[in-house]
Amino acid sequence: MARAGGITNAVNVGIAVQADWENREFVSHISLNVRRLFDFLVQFEATTKNKLAKLNEKLDTLERRLELLEVQVGTATANPAMFTT
Amino acid sequence: MAVPVEEAIAALSTFSLEDDQPEIQGPGFWVSTERGATTSPIEYSDVSAYRLSLSEDTKAINQLNLLIQEGKEMGSVLYTYRSCVKALPQLPDSMKQSQADLYLETYQVLDLEMSRIREIQRWQASAASKLAADMQRFSRPERRINGPTITHLWSMLKLLDVLVQLDHLKNAKASIPNDFSWYKRTFTQVSVQWQDTDSMREELDDLQIFVSTRWAILLNLHVEMFRVNNVEDILQVLIVFAVESLELNFALLFPECHILLRVLPVLVVLAASSEKDSESLYKRVKINRLINIFKNNPVIPAFPDLHLSPAAILKELSTYFPKFSAQSRLLSLPSPHELPPREAQEYPYHFSFPSSICDSYIFTYQRHYLVINHIGSIRAEHDDFSIRFASAMNQLILLRSIEGTDLEWAKEVKGNIYDMVVEGFQLLSRWTARVWEQCAWKFSRPCKDPVSTELHEKPESFSDYEKVVRFNYSADERKALVELVSYIKSIASMMQKADTLVADAIWETIHAEVQDFVQNILATMLRTTFRKKKDLSRILSDMRTLSADWMANTGKLDSDMQSFQQGGEENRGNFFYPRPVAPTSAQVHCLQFLIYEVVSGGNMRKAGGLFGNSGSDIPAHDLKQLETFFYKLGFFLHVLDYTATVANLTDLGFLWFREFYLESSRVIQFPIECSLPWMLVDHVIESQDAGLLESVLTPFDIYNDASQQALLVLKQRFLYDEIEAEVDNCFDIFVSKLCDSIFTYYKSWAASELLDPSFLFALDIGEKFSIQPLRFTSLLKMTRVKLLGRTINLRSLISERMNKVFRSNIEFLFDRFESQDLCAIVELERLLDVVQLAHDLLSKDLMLDSFDLMLSEMQENVSLVSYSSRLASQIWTEMQNDFLPNFILCNTTQRFVRSSRVPLVPVQKPSVPYAKPNFYCGTQDLNSAYQSFARLHSGFFGMPHMYSVVRLLGSRSLPWLIRALLDYISNKITTLEPMIAGLQEALPKSIGLLPFDGGVAGCMRIVKEHLNCWHPKSELKAEALRGIKEIGSVLYWMSLLDIVMREVDTSQFLQTAPWLGLIPGADGQIMQSQDGDDSPIVTLFKSVAAVTSSNLHFSNPSIFRVLSRQAEAADLLYKTNINAGSVLEYALAFTSAALEKYCSKWSAVPKTGFVDITTSKDFYRIYSGLQIEYLEEAIQAQSSNREVLGDSVAWGGCTIIYLLGQQLHFELFDFSHQVLNVAEVEVVEVAPTHKNPHIVQSSEVLVEAMKKARRLNNHVFSMLKARCPLEDKQACAIKQSGAPLHRIKFENTVSAFETLPQKGA
Repeated sequence: MARAGGITNAVNVGIAVQADWENREFVSHISLNVRRLFDFLVQFEATTKNKLAKLNEKLDTLERRLELLEVQVGTATANPAMFTT
Repeated sequence: MAVPVEEAIAALSTFSLEDDQPEIQGPGFWVSTERGATTSPIEYSDVSAYRLSLSEDTKAINQLNLLIQEGKEMGSVLYTYRSCVKALPQLPDSMKQSQADLYLETYQVLDLEMSRIREIQRWQASAASKLAADMQRFSRPERRINGPTITHLWSMLKLLDVLVQLDHLKNAKASIPNDFSWYKRTFTQVSVQWQDTDSMREELDDLQIFVSTRWAILLNLHVEMFRVNNVEDILQVLIVFAVESLELNFALLFPECHILLRVLPVLVVLAASSEKDSESLYKRVKINRLINIFKNNPVIPAFPDLHLSPAAILKELSTYFPKFSAQSRLLSLPSPHELPPREAQEYPYHFSFPSSICDSYIFTYQRHYLVINHIGSIRAEHDDFSIRFASAMNQLILLRSIEGTDLEWAKEVKGNIYDMVVEGFQLLSRWTARVWEQCAWKFSRPCKDPVSTELHEKPESFSDYEKVVRFNYSADERKALVELVSYIKSIASMMQKADTLVADAIWETIHAEVQDFVQNILATMLRTTFRKKKDLSRILSDMRTLSADWMANTGKLDSDMQSFQQGGEENRGNFFYPRPVAPTSAQVHCLQFLIYEVVSGGNMRKAGGLFGNSGSDIPAHDLKQLETFFYKLGFFLHVLDYTATVANLTDLGFLWFREFYLESSRVIQFPIECSLPWMLVDHVIESQDAGLLESVLTPFDIYNDASQQALLVLKQRFLYDEIEAEVDNCFDIFVSKLCDSIFTYYKSWAASELLDPSFLFALDIGEKFSIQPLRFTSLLKMTRVKLLGRTINLRSLISERMNKVFRSNIEFLFDRFESQDLCAIVELERLLDVVQLAHDLLSKDLMLDSFDLMLSEMQENVSLVSYSSRLASQIWTEMQNDFLPNFILCNTTQRFVRSSRVPLVPVQKPSVPYAKPNFYCGTQDLNSAYQSFARLHSGFFGMPHMYSVVRLLGSRSLPWLIRALLDYISNKITTLEPMIAGLQEALPKSIGLLPFDGGVAGCMRIVKEHLNCWHPKSELKAEALRGIKEIGSVLYWMSLLDIVMREVDTSQFLQTAPWLGLIPGADGQIMQSQDGDDSPIVTLFKSVAAVTSSNLHFSNPSIFRVLSRQAEAADLLYKTNINAGSVLEYALAFTSAALEKYCSKWSAVPKTGFVDITTSKDFYRIYSGLQIEYLEEAIQAQSSNREVLGDSVAWGGCTIIYLLGQQLHFELFDFSHQVLNVAEVEVVEVAPTHKNPHIVQSSEVLVEAMKKARRLNNHVFSMLKARCPLEDKQACAIKQSGAPLHRIKFENTVSAFETLPQKGA
């Protein structure tokens, strides 16, 4: 049976393959690190969002407290007579 | 400035990215650079570089891949096709003249839709012819070109699959022929005016045939294939390949597995369409193997809500392929369960097997398909895998952190990671396949008798979709599904997170595997087995050439090759450096091709299978190695495609899609109760299963997946809109349901904590009141729920709702209290306690407004200058309107009870508001427990109520209430005055002592004569008595309050005394312990402040300075609170001050200066008269008059008498006193027998009542003497003349009471 296949110039192909391995090492190194960078950014965004959410929560509670205090102070200043003893 | 990439990236890890977010959702985003390594990103254009003469093959692969891509798009167009006919408008009669316009418009609309169908028709024709041509070209026995490669075979199979699916879909979609017939009708209407419509008409007919013929695509393909009669070989190869892959089931992930299963029956039909062919096929593949595969997989998922079944396909196709109908063994496969839904009415037993066999079949299949039967082992697998994966990851991180490690160890760790990843993929593939298969199974077996939980729904109104989904999953099945989905998603997110961490380790391992094979194993093979076989050894060395990485030893390549050719025995190439680079897909493609070449010898006709080949001259050992590597290569691509594979394997979006059922049910969309993801969410919340709770968010990942699919795979905007609408709706309901169950849980937790534990312990049914612990903690932490690309802060949503629901609960409790009487205050306090404890418990996990804030907001006493509150004013109104007029005092029990008489003024109250059980105590059981407790206190007002009043009002509103009550007393006295004056006027000028002669009866007669003058004034009398009673009630209420306040003050004193430095002195006085001016608390904090300010290391000393100042303030506040007076004494003093005005009217100062025996104007006379009359009335009326007035009359009357200084007068001249004195004498004198028994009895009863009244009066007087001593003052208050001063003035005047807050404030 006649085989149509077979590498015609094995040595050259071998050298090219070797060079390819080395080039690709560089490429995958870079791409992996870009991905790591991206990962970092995603994670950074997520954790920052979480921290901001927590801060927001505290501010919300404080805001409501402050509102209450404002009302109280308002009632007090509206009736100064009650506090002059 | 150049910084090495690695270092720069490593520097990022110094950022703190700590996060307390629990991992309870699937991975929400995908970052992938591989662009699908499984299909070469550059379309195999690099294959030619390896000079394997594969250019023809590569071209064919690319062509097929393009077709596959197009075909998938066609499939999604067809799948998401929705009928337009339903939406077509009908013209009213009035507009019949514009019918033609309507036809034209309709035609244009439908033409657009039909053009898509036409496109599909054209596409399938070209695809079929191209596929057939491809098959023919590559199956010529003479083999002028290389191929087909394995990748090529896969492409053929995939294209075939696309065609089969398209056909199946076309068969199933009823709306297409429907739309088409409309289209045709409008066409005939419209085309009347057109010229030259013949070609269009022809085209239309073609399309009609295509649309209305079942399996038109397959038939067409068959025709195309057998135009030249030599595709049998390649069909057989494909069948062998599919069967072997399925049987081995190693390197297949579930999508591929399903492709093979779907294609196989069609392949068999195509290949066995002639006698001869089928014989040769069965020579290569035993028919039993096929039957086994078909039997084991009776239902194969195709589209989300559409499934295939091999048996049904075979059966149906046999009518189209007459030659195939001879294959009776294949056709007799049982198919009880895979009836297409349109034939579901004939369901279930519509085949020829006896039902017992059928049952057993169904049973085994059911066992296979239902997740619930596997969940136990899945759970174990999940636990085991997640532990091992985590530990492998830890090892990897450890390896990274150590420098200069042992190479062997590093290799082992990385190899382990690779193994874990492979295992993970296989697990995920298996699990997701289970979900798909269960889904398909459920679709094939709709629920027979749906039982609705809602009564208003009639069973016949259920749609098919409800039958296959909504009622088809039992509670256990839903639970299992939720569990499985959350396992899939959690493993996915775990693996997804590890992506960049494991990438290079995986590359390195794969590199090592490939290099080990080509450099070592192949070398050995070349030296031994293939030494003599020129052809094969050349292929093997080609394999080495195209993938070996000799590293720095490039130069050695030649010598290596030579040494192999020379058969050098030295063990070279054994060691190679690790390099974190994976082979490209072209390399894998070529390697697979070459291995296939070696094994098959390039001969397609060769009998037997791919590797299961006995006729080959390759030794079994080598064959095994080749086979293993061959399948490994296949899997490498999936592993390299890490993120894409994870995403593919964990995509559960199909659980949402229901296009097919939408069409068959003729509705636009199903309600969300029918939506599987929502059913799962709902189940988790409703089941209150602690184990499932943390999985409640994973069903939302299904929506995420579904929307992803709608946009990127199906590319249909309207589907996304529908999903989005449903998700919005679902999420709202979810949050509200979740909040409800959180609230209920915490309320019942608090309520069961507050029940008396020893009582519960003694109780048999105590278990009822304990609650199952649930963990909401991790859900409460979720600040970012990923939903359709949005990030939702669940925590803030929950806390917002919680703040609201706590407020409305407090509000409700007040509303409820307002609709009840004063006695409900104990219940109110208990319920508020429960709310408060629930708030405390929840506050540990969630940031809530402080309870005091909420309470004061709901009490409406936020203002600093207002002392009243909603509760205080309610108590006051209640006392004024209901309590004082309608309640009577029982002195013995110290309780007020409601008078049995109908009240004079009916009290208007709002009806009790309705609320869910969680506004009381949570669960029904707890509610009933608390209700029975509340019932104990609902009938009276006594000490417990007073405690509640004091606790609820606190030091802020209590003074306001006291002030209001004192004002009430003084008002009452003012209104009493004219009545008393009226009574005074009516009395005779002088009333002497009662004579002893007449005995009791005589006395009574005289008294009656005296009091006869009051007869016309009975109204006035009653009014006066009521007034006195109310004053008495208030005073008694004050005395109760006094007792409670004392206890509260004492306990507070005991707590504060040590801090204030107070110690008991020798004579019971309170003494300041230290001679220094500071109390212990001030000294303590002052010294702390001093120390911290002198210590430089302390960063924030100002805090302690503030603390010490606050301590001084506290000291001052608490010290002034120590000598709190008695409320009762204060009230008595106030009353006496209020009486001041009427003193002259109610106690006439005798002109003589001595006691005036006959005076009738003094108050005590009036009271005495009132008392004796009402005692008498009480006896006459039989029913005790006490029920109207109670003991508080005595309290009121005696107090006024006492404060007017008339106590001694009263005791001397009171009518009943005198009568009693007479009675004592009479009892001694007269023998009872002489008397008329009736009279005796009535007089005895009267005497008895008088005695009682005297005892009560004495009790009141002695109490008054103790609390408000007048006597010693009286003793010295004798005038110079010897006449006693009748009244002592207290130092307290009304003006002193101005310090109490005004009622209106």
